[in-house]
Amino acid sequence: MTQEAFISTSADHDSAPDIATQGLSLAYGNVSVIEELELRLPGGQVTAIVGPNGCGKSTLLSGMSRLLKPRAGTVLLDGADIQRLPSRQLAKRLALLPQQPHAPEALTVAELVRFGRHPHQSWLRQWSPEDKRGVDEALELTGLTTLAERPVDALSGGQRQRAWIAMAIAQQTSTLLLDEPTSALDLGHQVEVYELIRSLTTTGKTIVMVIHDLIGACRYADHLIAMHQGRILAEGPPHETVTTDLVRRLYGVDCTLMTDPATGAPLLTNVRRTRDALDGSAT
Amino acid sequence: MRVLTHCLSFGKPRSLIGLWLGLTGLLTAIALLSLLYGAGDVGPARAWQALQNLGTAASYDSEARFVTAELRAPRLWIGLVVGAALGIAGALLQAVTRNPLAEPGLLGVSAGAAFAVTLAILWGADAATLRVSVAQLGALGGCLCVLAAARLQGIGNDPVRLILAGAILSGLLHSLSSLILLYDQYTADEIRFWVVGSLAGRQLDDLVPLFPSLAVAALLTVILARPLAALALGEHVAIGLGHHPRIVRLLVIVVVALLVGGATAAAGPIAFVGLVVPFAARALAGPDIRRTLWLCLPLGPIVVVSADIVSRLVVPPSELPLGVLTALIGAPVLIGVVRGRRLPTL
Amino acid sequence: MTSPIDAPSSVRQDKYYLALPLGQRSPLRVIVDKRNLLVNLLLLGLLILLAGISLNTGSAASLSLPATLRALFGEGDPLDIFVIRDLRLPRVVAGIATGGAFALAGCLMQTVARNRLATPGIVGLDNGATAFAVASVVGTGISLAPPAMALTGAAVAAALTFGLTGRIGVRGYRFLVAGIGVGAVFGAITQLMLTRVSIDAANAAYPWTVGSLNARPDHAVLSLSLALLPALLAGIWLTRSLTVLRLSDAVAIGLGIAAGRCRMAALSVAVILPGLAVAVAGPVGMVALIGPEFARQLSARNTVPVLGATLAGAVVMVAADLLGRVLLAPIEIPVGIVTALIGSPLLLWILLNPNARTTP
Repeated sequence: MTQEAFISTSADHDSAPDIATQGLSLAYGNVSVIEELELRLPGGQVTAIVGPNGCGKSTLLSGMSRLLKPRAGTVLLDGADIQRLPSRQLAKRLALLPQQPHAPEALTVAELVRFGRHPHQSWLRQWSPEDKRGVDEALELTGLTTLAERPVDALSGGQRQRAWIAMAIAQQTSTLLLDEPTSALDLGHQVEVYELIRSLTTTGKTIVMVIHDLIGACRYADHLIAMHQGRILAEGPPHETVTTDLVRRLYGVDCTLMTDPATGAPLLTNVRRTRDALDGSAT
Repeated sequence: MRVLTHCLSFGKPRSLIGLWLGLTGLLTAIALLSLLYGAGDVGPARAWQALQNLGTAASYDSEARFVTAELRAPRLWIGLVVGAALGIAGALLQAVTRNPLAEPGLLGVSAGAAFAVTLAILWGADAATLRVSVAQLGALGGCLCVLAAARLQGIGNDPVRLILAGAILSGLLHSLSSLILLYDQYTADEIRFWVVGSLAGRQLDDLVPLFPSLAVAALLTVILARPLAALALGEHVAIGLGHHPRIVRLLVIVVVALLVGGATAAAGPIAFVGLVVPFAARALAGPDIRRTLWLCLPLGPIVVVSADIVSRLVVPPSELPLGVLTALIGAPVLIGVVRGRRLPTL
Repeated sequence: MTSPIDAPSSVRQDKYYLALPLGQRSPLRVIVDKRNLLVNLLLLGLLILLAGISLNTGSAASLSLPATLRALFGEGDPLDIFVIRDLRLPRVVAGIATGGAFALAGCLMQTVARNRLATPGIVGLDNGATAFAVASVVGTGISLAPPAMALTGAAVAAALTFGLTGRIGVRGYRFLVAGIGVGAVFGAITQLMLTRVSIDAANAAYPWTVGSLNARPDHAVLSLSLALLPALLAGIWLTRSLTVLRLSDAVAIGLGIAAGRCRMAALSVAVILPGLAVAVAGPVGMVALIGPEFARQLSARNTVPVLGATLAGAVVMVAADLLGRVLLAPIEIPVGIVTALIGSPLLLWILLNPNARTTP
């Protein structure tokens, strides 16, 4: 029941928004990270951006969420330049979960999730029935209803990450960007978070996540973007995109590629360092 | 700041003796200037004449003779002693807390000494000897607070938090002193000029009670230099090399208290000298505490005496308090060090 | 016109009121934290009580409480009326305004810097404002009024401290030490000016260097009071954004908050208010620490007690002034010394206690 109500407030599958970049250049100070990037992410799917450390994947996510102002080019959300949208309008359409966010002491799950309603509220209108519904649904979708009054910092790693995702869900945006949502978690908690993210696509959300874990990306993403040194080496569905050659160019390792008999996702085994890579260069 | 360090170090550390001789020469020149220039009517020419005739009994210019020999010379001597004491105390305190920002004035050691003296005067003590030992006791109290704070979990690894704690302690002691001054007019009159920190109006006699404790401090410093250098490599390494870090640390604190207490008793609280001098010494001679200490010996007086000369010349015929000038020089150095991408470790 | 908040079943209803001033269909729906409401009423009551005691206390002939009240409203003995309305009332008003201003500024700066120690005084603003104000009093040829000068001084000190260490709060404690350095420079400049002028002018400027409600020029009190009200409203308006900004910049931006603009607005208020308050009472910067700390201990956790801090600051200031007048009477302890004696141990405790939180 609540699930249905939630779907109706979100965008439909067909009209799920897509994100595109046009000639996007991003830099920190004088250090250019990404130059002239052209990219189009499919709507209504889970896209995973993978690549070695320092390849610019988190920078790209910062650019797409307006944390970082592009040096040149634009990020288009359904054709609209995100730099031109008022911040609150953007926050109603695009939610962001930063890398390892930290909650102040004693903040409860319900209080944290309530922050997600911020863009829908104003000083004169601090709480409405829609806010109540949004928070309730987010808590239910993430399975946190019974934990709502617990302090966030007293939860397990997986629960804590679920609480933050619940905050982003309560924002009721059609697009969700996640920066390394599983990087600090153990295997069990990683699966817990991945399955939650997977389940969100049934609500028609467009989800983009930056992750380290190539195997997890193959298993849980519909669309894969492999980045190296600020450029895109390959993109597409995981089973078409991931090749031994790509893995070698990305990480400088050789591997044997198999198909997971249970899910059909590409599976990397027998990972070992490439001989050439011993000389230094990964490409 | 790195540029400054670079300019000062000329690339490679050079011979310590050469550096030392050069700095001592510079100090001699500055000392001479300090005798020649002043806020009053006696200009360099008359002062020079008076200096040349100092040995001969008869002098035609008694005013110049009085000004140079009775006013400027004691000031110079006190400046030399205070500068050396504060510079070395700063280097020692920085080594023992392994914190490049540790400065007796910033950390509340000088404030402890000043507060103790205020209390002593309130309770009727006015003998100079007593004042020195009281100031040294107060400094010791301040030092122990610093050491205790530095050994607290979390603070010890964060140089900047220690400085904050010291600044707050100084503020607290300063307020307490102000309270006493309000309460007791006599103490206030007695102490008003002393709390500012200045070399003006001090007598050579003020220096005499310092000598026993300064001699002890000098001796201990010579003995402690080697173990301190070992301590810079880490506590475990020092133990492995056969030193006793606890005893070394305690003795160093005693030395710092003797030096800072003595300097404060003679010239009032003067901040930032203990920061600037070791900073310059490290830039010139590298991080080894033994080399640093040697260079602090001429560098401390150079800073204090030249600041004193400037304080006399900026606003004639009146004078600036020395503490004001050292703050104006030292605070930018402090900010520069804090601004650095990475705090230098000791 | 309040109703229990129709929050999700899991959000505790006993913690909040939903204020609906125009009925259930009201477009105006404001969440009021029950605990903070209670705390603010309590602080207001305490402030009124202390202000009453302060009016009733003084070296002049002792007045009964009813006589004090009558005199306050302009009835009774003309001398009493003069003492109460012309001598004591302005002092109490100045105390409330400066205390509120310092504490409000402190609360905003701590929140923006995410550091409980980041008060305007520590960052060097008070010393900057004092140096500039003293410059105008001792007559160094600059003829702006002291409040304008103090304001300029605070702005210059803030620009120096934050400019020298990059963005506020990014490098942990470093900007605080830079602030101490900037403060030391301005302190030295103040002393320099005081030594250069005649004893009389120096005496005139002295109250400003320790912090006292003795001097309180009328026009300075007026300009501070005029600034305090809009500043308080701005602070309350910013509360919602600041509450989110406490989490992290990235989270706040993701929730549609213009983090940079919000921070600049809060910081501007936190620079203007101490500047104007220093022109009234000198550097009583410790109130900026004690007030918010006091309010935070009482208020609901995870809120930014803007109003509570302002009220608490006023309470602390009036109480400290009262204490300073009574404790060693007939000698008056300047309020700056009283607050420093209370505030410094508190600061040390926050800094040195390994279990104490350093974020507000």
